[in-house]
Amino acid sequence: MIIPVRCFSCGKVIASDYRKFVAKIGESKTADGKVDQKIVEKTLDELGIKRYCCRRMILSQADLIDEIIPFS
Amino acid sequence: MAMKILESSPRFARFEITDITTSEANALRRTLIGDIPKLAIDKVSIHHGQIRDKDGNVFGSSLALFDEMIAQRLAMVPLVTDLKMNFRDECTCEGKGCTLCTVTYSINKLGPGTVMSSDLQPLNNPSAVPSDLDIPIVKLRKDQALLVTADAMMGRGSLHSKWQVSSGVSYKVHREFTFQKSAFHRWTSLKEKYPNAVLTENKERITFTDDNGDGEITSMSGEKGVEVTEDQNRYVFKFETDGSLPAIEVLDYSLKRIPQRLNTLLDSLVTPD
Repeated sequence: MIIPVRCFSCGKVIASDYRKFVAKIGESKTADGKVDQKIVEKTLDELGIKRYCCRRMILSQADLIDEIIPFS
Repeated sequence: MAMKILESSPRFARFEITDITTSEANALRRTLIGDIPKLAIDKVSIHHGQIRDKDGNVFGSSLALFDEMIAQRLAMVPLVTDLKMNFRDECTCEGKGCTLCTVTYSINKLGPGTVMSSDLQPLNNPSAVPSDLDIPIVKLRKDQALLVTADAMMGRGSLHSKWQVSSGVSYKVHREFTFQKSAFHRWTSLKEKYPNAVLTENKERITFTDDNGDGEITSMSGEKGVEVTEDQNRYVFKFETDGSLPAIEVLDYSLKRIPQRLNTLLDSLVTPD
């Protein structure tokens, strides 16, 4: 839906980093829409998202709010 | 007992305490997680029905997220806290809510766009702004609007995670990794990478510590030519905060809080007749 404000497990605020992550990853997409794993890893490290509980919040997010909005 | 700050920034602290027991270390960890007071939104009033702007355009208040979800997301936003503020149930207003114990916020946002945490306007305490201004709350269509007033009050993390200041609170014992230079050849690259982690060095052996959080050194335990020694009396802690309080202030408060709580227990003991 929309990125949760905090990490479910540890409570770190991760919502503000999600946009930065999506923007950075968007820049490094190849022609077939794929992103190198190493770049994903590096981007998360640079954003200061070190623990795997916070990393999964960002990596597993399906941003569906734009698809819900027309029906609200 | 001695304490040494190894690393300190506004949102992160790493420190070492010597000559304490595991239970004392754990008491400090639990205090850091759940016993630091902090400001968070606790009551939200959302305007339902039509909202008009100054030109007379009509906006609806039925949004993509349920009201409960918006309230929850607002509550989770970290707010810059002044520890001098009162808890509501201990305040001179006797729980009614006054400027000493409550900060009122308002959001007035017309679509299209995203309501961000920076749209939270504190009404009676200009310093209690969100410490993170880029948190999206909800997205608005061009005919939607959000009109909200919210009250924030002090609380502790043990009650709800919106009042949790620090995250990733952990401790470990001080460890030393002694490498036999003849048996473990990668020590040169480790020394180049982590010069601050070297404790002692002579012709045959070199000793590192992983107290600075250098995971690569930690992962060397069990390798050939590596000997690990633990010091059960030295505890290395680390934690980060969400920006509502500086890390050093959180640490300072938690160290004062532990004896305070133990005294509450002592005071509550009564001698039987």
